[in-house]
Amino acid sequence: MTRLLAGSTEDYVVKVKNLKVYFSKGNPLFGKKYITKALDGVTLTIRKREIMGVVGESGSGKTTLGRVTIGLQKPTEGEVYIKADNEEINVVKAKLKVISKYVQMIYQDPYSSIDPIMRVYDVLAMPLKYRKERDIEKKIEEAMNLVELPLELLENRVYQLSGGQRQRLSIARAIIVDPKYVVADEPTTMLDASLKGEILKIIKDARERKGISFMLITHELPIAKIISDRLTVLYLGKVVEMGRSSDVIRKPLHPYTQSLIEAYPKIDPSLRDKPKEIKIKVDIIRPEKGCVFYPRCPFAMPKCKEEEPQLKEVEQEHYVACWLY
Amino acid sequence: MLLEVKNLKVYFYTKRGVVKAVDDVNLYLDKGEIVGLAGESGSGKSTIGYAIMRLVPYPGKIEGGKIFFNGENILEIDEETFRRNYRWKKISMVFQGSMSGFTPVFKVKDQIIEVLRVHEWKGDYEERVRELFKMVNMDPSLADKYPHELSGGQKQRAFIAMALALNPEVLIADEPTTALDVIVQENILNLLKQLRKELNLSILFITHDLALLSEISDRDYILYAGKVMESGPSEIIFKKPRHPYTTLLIESIATLDKDMIKGIPGFMPDLSNPPKGCRFNTRCPFAKDICFKEEPKLKAFSDGDEVACWLY
Repeated sequence: MTRLLAGSTEDYVVKVKNLKVYFSKGNPLFGKKYITKALDGVTLTIRKREIMGVVGESGSGKTTLGRVTIGLQKPTEGEVYIKADNEEINVVKAKLKVISKYVQMIYQDPYSSIDPIMRVYDVLAMPLKYRKERDIEKKIEEAMNLVELPLELLENRVYQLSGGQRQRLSIARAIIVDPKYVVADEPTTMLDASLKGEILKIIKDARERKGISFMLITHELPIAKIISDRLTVLYLGKVVEMGRSSDVIRKPLHPYTQSLIEAYPKIDPSLRDKPKEIKIKVDIIRPEKGCVFYPRCPFAMPKCKEEEPQLKEVEQEHYVACWLY
Repeated sequence: MLLEVKNLKVYFYTKRGVVKAVDDVNLYLDKGEIVGLAGESGSGKSTIGYAIMRLVPYPGKIEGGKIFFNGENILEIDEETFRRNYRWKKISMVFQGSMSGFTPVFKVKDQIIEVLRVHEWKGDYEERVRELFKMVNMDPSLADKYPHELSGGQKQRAFIAMALALNPEVLIADEPTTALDVIVQENILNLLKQLRKELNLSILFITHDLALLSEISDRDYILYAGKVMESGPSEIIFKKPRHPYTTLLIESIATLDKDMIKGIPGFMPDLSNPPKGCRFNTRCPFAKDICFKEEPKLKAFSDGDEVACWLY
């Protein structure tokens, strides 16, 4: 774990250390109690102006990770820090009111995350008024321009907007207060293919022009590759691989990342007659001990069942948790 | 031709007006073929599936056209005969989100047996369920479980088993892999390919995911705002498309070998008041005068491609 932090002396915005989030299900009064380890020892940093892609399948803990880093979910164990204006905020201990000065979130569903009967103007003015900011008009105009929404829409009600326009508004609402760090949780998932590209461009623009750091959570590997500087691959609450996006996609080290990349559909009609080879087992099994991935892994060795591999820097800035390395 | 849809029109009578969700669509499906029906939300792709099953939800109505199954117009058959002899027996459907289509209070096995019982299946019910589970590569003992005890991929495979219960000739698969993880998606695709081979099943594959579709379909129909924009063999549709919409749509799909994706500016027109001329004219970079005046008809090319566009 310490090795992972080797590069963190530089300018970071978010620092997460050995984070654990356990959820318990079931009533102890009736005997059985189950514990789900949503996150189990996650350590990572997000640098200034960096877009960090977090990818994983359902149940990997990616949304929980996003929520913990902005204080919406208290961890069972571990530390989270945000650095803003040379001040370090302990997210686990600080009040939400303090944290929320610096962080924002963009949600997956643009239909349920904005009040449909509000005017577009009010959606953007409200967070500014709450912070008693000045130049409200100018800031609204600036944000509308950044997300490429026409100013005429300001007087419209949210329900009159299309899905793509609502997601733009959701981004505008997040960046209008000049946050240091934004968590974007599956921001393109609900959108049609023809709209995804423009949303990604807007997020990139926001980073360029405002210097915001992003955590981009997605299950779509190509989306993460296109937009993020670095990638973190989560599997059952553990980081299995981390590195520069181009490195992870071009030369995946972990057997899980490798099989994800192989399985990803390519636009290739010549594949249609033969079934595609899937090297790993399809169903997710959570082991008692050892490497979380060994029940599905085609390369599993006796050691994998007993001992858990730690993240290791195999190439420069390219980390993997696997006994093959 | 096993299944042929001719000049199909499905309109929804809403408070805001008549929404022409499917407007004069022609398509066909041959024995043992996998045909893709692709489009973005609001293109009418699912509505076509529902129309073939004669299950168009209120306030929608089939306003015109014919649907032939083995040469017989199934829109003219009375509802009781259609329910008994066609729906699920000849043509069945895997619905969008059908992973949550099982009721949580009965075992999966009992829900499949109910289908067999209602349709007066001749034979041993338990044995048939075991057979169906083997067909979709599942351990038959899983049939004794309740739906919540199965994973998403297992539930989807069990639903496919239920759709195949009465040996249908046509399977309509409406977004059968949406909301599943990539590895599970590929597993379902492999299963459908295998079923086509083993049972000579014809599959109408409805999806918004074109990359996925390219790996399974023989031919495709690209829909936009209730109209077919282009149809043809998959090699043409995915590698050398002619319609500007198909071209732009394929360019906007994120795949791992792309460094940036473009979008298509604008959004789909309001179908209660569609634009005059071509329905893509509000977003098309090549739109010229005629595109705003007159609607283009499908034009056939020698390679099997058909395109509705004034560029050709």
